[in-house]
Amino acid sequence: MIFIFGPLWSGKRAVAKELLACGDAEFERRAVWDVQELVRERTDLEELAVELSRYDAVIATEIGGGIVPLDRGEREARERAGRLNCLLAERAETVVRVFCGIPKAVKGEL
Amino acid sequence: MLTLVVGGAASGKSAYAEELIVRSDAPRRVYLATMTPFGDEARRRIERHRALRADKGFETLECYVNIAEAAIPRDSAVLLEDLGNLCANELFSSQGAKGGAADAILRGIAHLRGQCRDMVVVSNEVFTGGADYAGDTVRYLSLLAYVNRKLAATADAVCEVNCGIATYYTIIE
Repeated sequence: MIFIFGPLWSGKRAVAKELLACGDAEFERRAVWDVQELVRERTDLEELAVELSRYDAVIATEIGGGIVPLDRGEREARERAGRLNCLLAERAETVVRVFCGIPKAVKGEL
Repeated sequence: MLTLVVGGAASGKSAYAEELIVRSDAPRRVYLATMTPFGDEARRRIERHRALRADKGFETLECYVNIAEAAIPRDSAVLLEDLGNLCANELFSSQGAKGGAADAILRGIAHLRGQCRDMVVVSNEVFTGGADYAGDTVRYLSLLAYVNRKLAATADAVCEVNCGIATYYTIIE
């Protein structure tokens, strides 16, 4: 599994498609994105990370860089999103950060 | 050579960008300023930066929209600061290109790049604080993200500055 993360609208999915070398239909089967949204409902992060690891590419938007949210639910979800990223990065053979459309391997090699 | 320097607020991106210009062998240094001098705070900020740059031999040109029209000397190294302001000006000011903002900015930079010897463009990292935005903020952020990606794809080097330290995302020769 490749774990791909980066800022909002940084071109993560375009990079993932290139790395998997596939078209849109195949991409929808092999990749999962916006995983930071899943932790709004899920708190079983270890289990979620295991499930997500079955995909070839897992994509998350970095959301931990702003002001701490006032709302408790938002605050906890943001915390879980960060922890999930760490679990996914542990499981991934390759971890890629995308910045302004450019991928950089931070674990393993591209 | 075109370098894109991206960083958050007070990340040290301006100082790093100035250093790149000073390292260039171009005999003239031009600062292309995009921040509109509205309000006391902006004016004071601009004055302070202008004084700091004067010691490094920069000439300052102000250009808030349509940067393609800036008169850039051929033998210069140009520092364009910054895309966050330029995007806001093109999108929201009365003289701005509005729907044609991305095109005006990207064509403008391509044009200036052909005029000068070296160019450094400073842009803003504002994309890791969630996506809970609406209306004009979404339009503004998606424009800035688009311009950042397009420019990164054609730049000779792209770096992110954190705490004054640059991490490069392309190989520099």
